[in-house]
Amino acid sequence: MPETAMDRAASATPPGIARRVRGLSDRAIAWLFVAPTIFLLLAINIFPLIWTIRLSFTNFRANRPNADVEWVGLRNYQRILSDPEIWQTMQATAHFLFWTLFFQVLIGFALAWLINAKFRSSNFWTTVIVLPMMLSPAVVGNFWTFLYQPQIGLFNYVVAFVSGADPTSFSMIGDVPLAPWAIVIVDTWMWTPFVMLICLAGLRSIPESIYEAAECDRASKWRQFWTITVPMVLPFLMLAVLFRGIENFKMFDLVVQLTGGGPGSTTELTSINLKREAFEKWRTGYASAYAVILFVTVFGLASIYVKALNKVKER
Amino acid sequence: MAEVVLRGVSKHYGETAALDDMSMTVADGAFVVLLGPTGAGKTTTLRLIAGLEAPDGGDILIGGRSVLRDTPAERDVAMVFQQYSLYPHLSVRDNLAFPLRSPALRTPEAEITRKVAEVAEVLHISHKLDNKATALSGGEMQRVSIGRALVRAPQLFLMDEPLSSLDAKLRADLRVELKRIHASLGRTLLYVTHDQIEAMTMATEVGVLDQGRLVQFGTPREIYESPVSLYVAARLGQPRINALPAGLFGGAPRGAKTIGLRPEHIRLGEGRDAEVVRVERLGDQTRLHLRLDGHDIVTLTDPHSDLETGDSLAITPRDALYFDASGNRLS
Repeated sequence: MPETAMDRAASATPPGIARRVRGLSDRAIAWLFVAPTIFLLLAINIFPLIWTIRLSFTNFRANRPNADVEWVGLRNYQRILSDPEIWQTMQATAHFLFWTLFFQVLIGFALAWLINAKFRSSNFWTTVIVLPMMLSPAVVGNFWTFLYQPQIGLFNYVVAFVSGADPTSFSMIGDVPLAPWAIVIVDTWMWTPFVMLICLAGLRSIPESIYEAAECDRASKWRQFWTITVPMVLPFLMLAVLFRGIENFKMFDLVVQLTGGGPGSTTELTSINLKREAFEKWRTGYASAYAVILFVTVFGLASIYVKALNKVKER
Repeated sequence: MAEVVLRGVSKHYGETAALDDMSMTVADGAFVVLLGPTGAGKTTTLRLIAGLEAPDGGDILIGGRSVLRDTPAERDVAMVFQQYSLYPHLSVRDNLAFPLRSPALRTPEAEITRKVAEVAEVLHISHKLDNKATALSGGEMQRVSIGRALVRAPQLFLMDEPLSSLDAKLRADLRVELKRIHASLGRTLLYVTHDQIEAMTMATEVGVLDQGRLVQFGTPREIYESPVSLYVAARLGQPRINALPAGLFGGAPRGAKTIGLRPEHIRLGEGRDAEVVRVERLGDQTRLHLRLDGHDIVTLTDPHSDLETGDSLAITPRDALYFDASGNRLS
C-alpha cells in the first residue's frame, strides 16, 4: 500500500510520546483538561471560603500575624448579630436594595414597553438609554458627585428650577435624610437600562399573533396587558431582579465614590462596613464572621428566589 | 344577521398587492371556503374581515353595516389561526375560557365551566383540560384553538386552514364535526384551505382567489363542473385536471387552445392509443399514468383493473372542457 501523508505524519511522532499519549484513558484526558480549572477554583474560591469560616471562630488580626490566635467559638457571630450599628447598615442596605429594584423594575419595564412600540427612532433611543450601563461605576460616582454639588451641580439646579427652592439649600450627598436617596437615584440611573434590555427581550419573545388572537377574543388592551404581557414577561423580569439584587446586595464601588458611606454612616452599606472592619480596623476574625453571615443571607435569599422563579417559569 | 360583503377591497404590502379590488358577498349562515395557492390573498381576506388589518380601499360590511371603523372585538368575529396562537402560559381550560371571561360579556363562572366542558367534549380534549397549552401535540393545540372560537358563538367564524396540521383520521372527524356545528349554530363561516375534500364536503359556496382577485364564486359543484378558467379548474379535482393541446383528439371548437380532461372526461377503450406508463393501485381506485404523443395524462380506472405498465389503452374525450389561449373557458 502506498504511504499516505497521514501515515508519514503518524510515523514522524516519536514513539515514546505516542505510546504515552495512547496509554491515557479518556477519563484521564478529561481530567487533564478539567484539572487547571478545578485547581484555580479550589485555590481562589473554595479554600478562602473554608479559611474564612475557620477564621470567623477566632480573634485573628491580619495586621498582627504573629500574635496568639484564640479560638472564640460563636462569640464573633453573637457580637455581630447583637450590634445595633451593624443592624443599621443592614437597614441601609435593605433600603438601597428595595428602592433600587423597585424603581429599576418600574422604569425599566415602562421604557421597554415604550421602545417595543417601535416608533421611528426607537433604535437610536435604545442606544442612548443603554449608555449609562456601559460606564465604569467609578466614573459614574465621580460625575454624579459633581451633579450633586449644591453650588454648581446640575441636579440641584434642575430640582431648584422645577420646585422653586434654593439650589444651595440642600445637599443630596451631605444631608442625612437625602443621602440614601442620592445613591438610589444614581444606581437607578445607571442600571435601569439593564432591566430594560431584559424586559425588551421578554416583550419581543411574545408573538404578535397572540395579541391578535386576544384582540379577536375581545380582550381590551388593558386585559391583554395583564393576562398576556405581564405573565409572559414575568420570568424575564424576575431574572433581571435576581441579577440586580445580587449585584446591589454587595454594592461597593459606586457608593464609596459617591458618599463614602456618609454622612455619618447613613449610606454605609454592609459591604462598605465589612471592608472597614476587615481592612481599617483589622478585626479579621470578626470580619470573617460578618462575611459568612452576608454570604449565607445572599445565598439563602437567592435560593428561595430561584425556586420561585422556576415555579413561575413552569406555570 | 351576519351577511358579509366585501366591496372593491384592496390591500397592498409595499409593492405587492395582496388583495386587488375584491368584491364578494357571503350570505348569512353560509359556509364559504376560499381556495387558492399561497399568496392568493386568502389569509389577508380573513384578516381584513376580522379587523386585524385595515384595507387600503373599499368597504367591508358585516350584517349590512360597514365595520371599517370597528375594532376586532366590536365586529363579534372569532378567528382560528393557522399557527394556533394559544396563550402559552395558560392551561387548556383557561385558553378555552379566555373569550368568555371578557368583562363585557359578564358570563357567570358556572356557565363558563359548562361551555368549556361542552366544547372540550366535542373536540376530544376533555382529558387535557388541565394541561398547559404548550404541553400539547400540534393537533391538540389546533383543536384548542378551534375550541376557543366555538365557545363564544360569535356571529361570524373565520378559520385559516384549521385542519392542516391534523392527521387524516382526526381531520375527517373534525370535518364532520365542523359541518355539524355549522348546521346547528347556523352562523356564517369563512374558511381557508388548500384541501379539496374540505372544500367539496363542507362548503355551501367556494370562492377561488388568484393574485388577490376573486375569479369565481359558486357552489362546489359549479366550481368543479363549470370552472370559468383553467386556473379554477386546476384548484379542484384529484387527480388534477389534465391540460392538453386542444388538437390532440380533434373536434375542438374554434379558438380552443387547451382541452381540460378530468378522469370522468376520459372514456377508456376507444379512440387513440395511449401507452400505460405507471399503474398506482390505491385500493378503492386505480390511477393510470398514460402517455399520448409525448403528453402525460393521469386518469382513474376500475380498482380491479389488470392493466400493467407498457400496455396500450385507447382513450377518447367525453364532454371535455375547452379553454382559449388566455386560459378562459369556452362554452
